[in-house]
Amino acid sequence: MSGFWRTGARAGLLWLSAGCGGGSGDGGSGPVDPPPNLLGLTVAGGGDNVPDRYTSDLWVHGGYAYTGTWGGFSRNGNAGNVLKIWSLAAAGAPELVDSLVVPLIATVSDLEVSADGTVLLFSAEGGPNAGIFLHDLGNPRRPVLLDSVQVNGGVHTATLGEIGGRRYVFAARNPPDPALLIFDVTDPGNITPAATVSIPPSYGIHDTFVRDGLAFVFAWNTGVIIFDVGNGIAGGSPAAPAELSRLVTDAAGVSAGPAVHNGWWFHNPVTHEARYLFIGQEGPGVIGAQSSGDIHVVDVSDLRHPVEVARFHLAGAGTHNFWIDEANQILYAAYYNQGVIALDVSGTLSGDLADRLVGHLLPGGPGDTYTWGVQLAGGSLYASDMLSGLWQIGIAP
Amino acid sequence: MSSLALLGLLLGGAVRDTSAQARPWIRWSAQAITAWGGADPVPGGGRLDEIRMVQPVVMVRAGWGPRFSLLGTLDLEGLTLPDGELTMGGWGEGFVDRRHPHTYAHELLLTGNDLLGRADGPARFSLTVGKGFAPFGTDDPMSRPALRFPVNHHLAQILERAVAIAAFRRGAVTAEAGLFNGDEPERPGQWPRIGRFGDSWSGRLTGAPTPGLELQGSYALVHSPEHRPGAGTDQDKWSASARWERRIGGHPLYGLVEWARTSEAGGFFVFHSFLAEGAWTVGRHRLHYRFERTERPEEERISNFRSRRPHLENSILGTTRWTIHSLGYALGGLEVGGVRLEPLGEVSAGSIVRVDSGLFDVATLYGDHRFWSWSLGVRLAAGGGMHRMGRYGAAAEAVDSREHRHDMGVR
Repeated sequence: MSGFWRTGARAGLLWLSAGCGGGSGDGGSGPVDPPPNLLGLTVAGGGDNVPDRYTSDLWVHGGYAYTGTWGGFSRNGNAGNVLKIWSLAAAGAPELVDSLVVPLIATVSDLEVSADGTVLLFSAEGGPNAGIFLHDLGNPRRPVLLDSVQVNGGVHTATLGEIGGRRYVFAARNPPDPALLIFDVTDPGNITPAATVSIPPSYGIHDTFVRDGLAFVFAWNTGVIIFDVGNGIAGGSPAAPAELSRLVTDAAGVSAGPAVHNGWWFHNPVTHEARYLFIGQEGPGVIGAQSSGDIHVVDVSDLRHPVEVARFHLAGAGTHNFWIDEANQILYAAYYNQGVIALDVSGTLSGDLADRLVGHLLPGGPGDTYTWGVQLAGGSLYASDMLSGLWQIGIAP
Repeated sequence: MSSLALLGLLLGGAVRDTSAQARPWIRWSAQAITAWGGADPVPGGGRLDEIRMVQPVVMVRAGWGPRFSLLGTLDLEGLTLPDGELTMGGWGEGFVDRRHPHTYAHELLLTGNDLLGRADGPARFSLTVGKGFAPFGTDDPMSRPALRFPVNHHLAQILERAVAIAAFRRGAVTAEAGLFNGDEPERPGQWPRIGRFGDSWSGRLTGAPTPGLELQGSYALVHSPEHRPGAGTDQDKWSASARWERRIGGHPLYGLVEWARTSEAGGFFVFHSFLAEGAWTVGRHRLHYRFERTERPEEERISNFRSRRPHLENSILGTTRWTIHSLGYALGGLEVGGVRLEPLGEVSAGSIVRVDSGLFDVATLYGDHRFWSWSLGVRLAAGGGMHRMGRYGAAAEAVDSREHRHDMGVR
């Protein structure tokens, strides 16, 4: 589907949405309208394909997908110590081709494949081997371990960043001593520490987004911290990050506070602006059933003085990881017990974004949906669901 | 801190007022229970037995005249059961299905009694500062008949905090208000985080409408109890109870009925408890029984008996409801060399059900929805009896004025 066609379709759908009165709220006493699905999100393939374990994060690259497993509670007697390897059929449907067991860990917490498709990165929590792992993807069906680093407390997330011709891993070290760990992995067979930046123990660091030499650190109730790690704006580097600013987003009525969890710095190809940083708030939840927390929008036009400008709230659920289809200005968010949502993020964003909701799907259906992450690849949206596995979601006008 | 300075000034005043007629005094007591205990099933399935020394405590009460008193309770569980006491359903301070060891300084409190003297007529006003229980809920389980700690320990008591408590008693009514730090201990040697003093508060109203009967209602707002730096969720806590203790036909009879509710994260999580217990003593023999139905959070565990601390996020796996019947017997009246010996035994039968939804599954963890637990041991005690932990100053005087001993029979 061409970007031009989809942009046009999205504009029409938004017109319909606006004409119909937009989104629903949950503040009134009346029944809550079901979220709209104007973008036509539909199940295209996969699903109910990981019955042995709870699924965690995902990454799709080329004709393969990789998913992690979560071990906070055993499923069928199994821990979350497995990396699942999927082959994507011509139409994009995932088929499990192998499972890689990682000894002495409890959870595969985050995944990423390098842009050139040569290296698979994943992080792990729980057990003595918790830390980060790099695998060679010379054969995408058979990842081969290149190197690993054990980290006390485990690593919640890990992200690759290309800076100054070198490749780095930005890792979120868990409490009791939370920190942003930066490793030089230009030689993936030799993970080399580059820097350690302590993060206040207000639950510490949960995720990092790296782009254009900037690292956005999502640090729970400390808020978001923006570091120059090679951009040049403040003289920082991966070995010596320089803090530019920090912002504590609004608690939005969540008693646990801002709970800043993840984010995405949106580069809008239509407006040529890099104005908005989207932040996920992870409020209290009952894993597998309930969640809370909003999507917060921060204007980072002035990186030294970020300002929160908008927010999206979905009744009865909370957000988790994002993916943005930048060409079409659509943000996809995993929304735990409410599955997957799509937001129109074109133009100027301000205030309540309820009327920007253009897509919604519970891939596993009610009671079998608790979606962890999403990724757009090959014209499909892929979703990893803790309960119901890996899904291919079609986007139809 | 200004509130502490004010308290110090008032306490100092109390000492000066009474110095001319004050005389020093001291009382002490000590106890320890050595018991074989077990449960079937335990987390992971199967039966587990162990021999432990539980509740090894030394209590000292000292004073200078009637107005100035010091209370200290040294608890050595950090040495005798660093991994906690096997207690199916027990939870708190990072332990699950094991009751956590208390901190070494379980209570250490300075009290100024009747600070207003005749100015408030027959009423009594006191101030207490130190480390101990916040004025909330019911007595510490250690000072009650059953050996097994109830599941509701962290719903019905707020313990081991840096507290400042004002208590006012007039006639049969006592009102208490307290400031304290919200953070609960993480290990036996840890002191309250004094920088958080005052971030939490509680109030308790107690009445004694008839001899032997005590009615209590209390509320507490506790900030981030499970995350010491303060990033955790807050708790709203309510408690109501009726306690009865008298002699019937010359035999001590004790009963307690309590209800407790804790709402956390603005009501996202709500846990309820109902408990009823009683003890009947005839001569050297005491029987006790407890019924409890309590809900608890199921957290992600890092091992069979430990949950993740410090927290990484505010999610739980679900809520379970524990229904437990406990029946026990103790034999008193034995003494060797000034040490009282009290053989005792207790057996509990319980069931576990999941409440609402979530990933937690009872059968997956335990292999069964029902369990048994048992204890057989001997209590060694010397000195006076154990005081009702959790009431200080005018609130403790109210108890003392109604009861000569808090031994519920055979201790």
